[in-house]
Amino acid sequence: MNEPVVYTEKMKVPSSRLNKMERVWWGTLLPVFLIGVYFIIKGFFMEGMASTYLTDEVPWGAWVAFYIYFIGMSAGSFLLSTLIYGFGMKKYEKIGRAALLSAIVSMITAITFIFLDIGRPDHVFNSIIYWNITSTMAWEIHFYIVYILFLIVELYLSMRGDLIELAKKKNRLAKFYQFLTFGKKEMTKEDEQRDKKRMKILGIIGIPLAILGVHGGTGSIFAVLKAHPFLNSGLFPIIFIMSALVSGTALSISLYVIKNKVLKKPIDTEMVRSLGSLLALFLAIELIMEWYEFLVGTYGLQYEEMQTIGHMTTGPWWWSFWIFQMGFAMIIPLGILFLKRTRTSVNWILTASILTILGVVGVRFNMVVPVFIVPPFEGMPTPNYYPNLSEWVVTFGLIAMFLLLYTLGEKLLPIEEVEYSENGVIEHGK
Amino acid sequence: MGIFSKGEFTEKDWNHLLDRALPDAKQEMAKSPYDSELGFNMAKDARRVINGSLSLEDFHKKYSSSLVKEFGKEYVSETPPRRTGKGPQWAMVIDLRKCVGCDTCTVSCKAENRTPPGMSYNIVLETEVGQYPNVARINLPRPCMQCEKPPCAQVCPTRATYKLDNGIVVIDNDRCIGCRYCMVACPYGARSFDFGKSYEDEMIGFNDVTSPEYGVDRGERKKGKLPEGTVRKCSFCYHRLQRGEEPACVETCIGDARYFGDLNDPNSKVSKLAASPRAFRLKEDLGTGPSVIYLK
Repeated sequence: MNEPVVYTEKMKVPSSRLNKMERVWWGTLLPVFLIGVYFIIKGFFMEGMASTYLTDEVPWGAWVAFYIYFIGMSAGSFLLSTLIYGFGMKKYEKIGRAALLSAIVSMITAITFIFLDIGRPDHVFNSIIYWNITSTMAWEIHFYIVYILFLIVELYLSMRGDLIELAKKKNRLAKFYQFLTFGKKEMTKEDEQRDKKRMKILGIIGIPLAILGVHGGTGSIFAVLKAHPFLNSGLFPIIFIMSALVSGTALSISLYVIKNKVLKKPIDTEMVRSLGSLLALFLAIELIMEWYEFLVGTYGLQYEEMQTIGHMTTGPWWWSFWIFQMGFAMIIPLGILFLKRTRTSVNWILTASILTILGVVGVRFNMVVPVFIVPPFEGMPTPNYYPNLSEWVVTFGLIAMFLLLYTLGEKLLPIEEVEYSENGVIEHGK
Repeated sequence: MGIFSKGEFTEKDWNHLLDRALPDAKQEMAKSPYDSELGFNMAKDARRVINGSLSLEDFHKKYSSSLVKEFGKEYVSETPPRRTGKGPQWAMVIDLRKCVGCDTCTVSCKAENRTPPGMSYNIVLETEVGQYPNVARINLPRPCMQCEKPPCAQVCPTRATYKLDNGIVVIDNDRCIGCRYCMVACPYGARSFDFGKSYEDEMIGFNDVTSPEYGVDRGERKKGKLPEGTVRKCSFCYHRLQRGEEPACVETCIGDARYFGDLNDPNSKVSKLAASPRAFRLKEDLGTGPSVIYLK
């Protein structure tokens, strides 16, 4: 006992709850987020919309594109979760709660983006007080509120049993869990049955809410604009939903695979493969729809439509269309998920998913920027738009916020089903 | 008195003070040779007419006999005739053959509405068509079309932009949230967003007056103050119409290419010109029904 106690690296580990990867993760994302916040205050709150490169000619830009991007992610993740809770597809159960959590976090991020994009944040509640029932946007604002509440209730119900278990533990967070369970002590079989039933009902009500209300509705915000014939088509909201399903599925795959790789946990290869073929299916349907959208659009030979398609495919934004939309979010992942050698490998499926997530950014930009670049009349100068530094920094800050909120959710909440280890200690998310 | 008033006067006390200073109504009325009771009753009912619980016709019906008895026929007015028929439908006719593309309308509009840099309610589009030697220059002045079915008002989430009975599409800047949905919905590109820019650097006193639109005096133009952050548009110079003046662009047009008037009046100049075979409206296929009519 005379030997002095040597503090080795190993002994320090329990005192710090974060492992190395997590430290790098937080250490990178927090500064990005904080710089974003600084630019929001400096730009948005001090200078207003003048801090962006938006003009009267192109009044919607990067933030709108990212807003619909995250709305799409949310609707896609949620629809994936309804496969599990609404239709009882047990094989995807492992990602059920994660999909709900990412749906909530995506919604929060999307709303933050669009909140930054309005000129008078102090007037924002007018859209609820003076609801214009012919305005698709007013409907959307109402749908978003209902949808977020709905997602929170559903996630809560899905993990209530585990929250009650966690509340029994004696650690710092037990108080937090006790608060979340409203002091409920025991989860009986009846409670479980009732929650399952509630989840099923919510999941099924949620499908029209997410498809028609939230995502089809967001697509309709654009599709009703008769001033822009490229957007003004009945197929547009459906393409919108399709690319939502694509990005939501890709997000769920990536989150699941990356998380388990980082935490060095076994990956359910069967499930990932199955999700991969689901992604391929959604991509194929989207490709067919895009084909008809462009075919019918081009066939009309209408000035604005031709100009828009021209800008998209050969204009200054050509790379967004060919590399991001067609390459990353369509042909390459379809190829990966089609070839036998690659579609069975988890790493290749992950690659396809990440490429899709990146590519859908381009899809969303192409729904906004090339369309508004076209002047309403021949003879008007053709404007252009690129996001400026402030817009990019804020965008990256908010993407960091999205990742941080998701990580926080994973850490604090029993997103993974609680597993009982041999000595009876409950572990979650480890 | 409220809990936090610390012995200050409340509204009631002030009112009481005022009541004491006012002459006693009964005494004042008694000096008049006419019936005091009738006066009090009429005052009471006049307030009901104002707040809408009594119609003007009923008011006149109720008092006409006692008024005739009191004052004699020549002093008593009849019930004012109810406004029948429609009010004016303001419209503008622009004769493209007369337009020389001088941009006076643009300049006078900017001066009248004091629009900030980069914003112009009225613009003149200029294009050259044809190939040498058969070339022509086309000028197309473009104010807001004040559509009959405005796509902008249809999409506004807060009903901040709406159509008046006289056909003018207006914006309530106090309600607008600045989402710019109306701007992307407008097929004519006739709406602008106030980014908060100012000419103050090059023009002393620019900030003294903010947007005189709709006759609202918003005082000095300042950072973060309305209408910054909201959408603005041409209102056919509504504030000038209220004073009986023409819109600034119509008044200043050097070639007299613009006409302004009431489409509901079949004898007005705009009605007659709108019926001309030269008349057309922009993007008529969209079904927006513009109130700006061009003569080709």
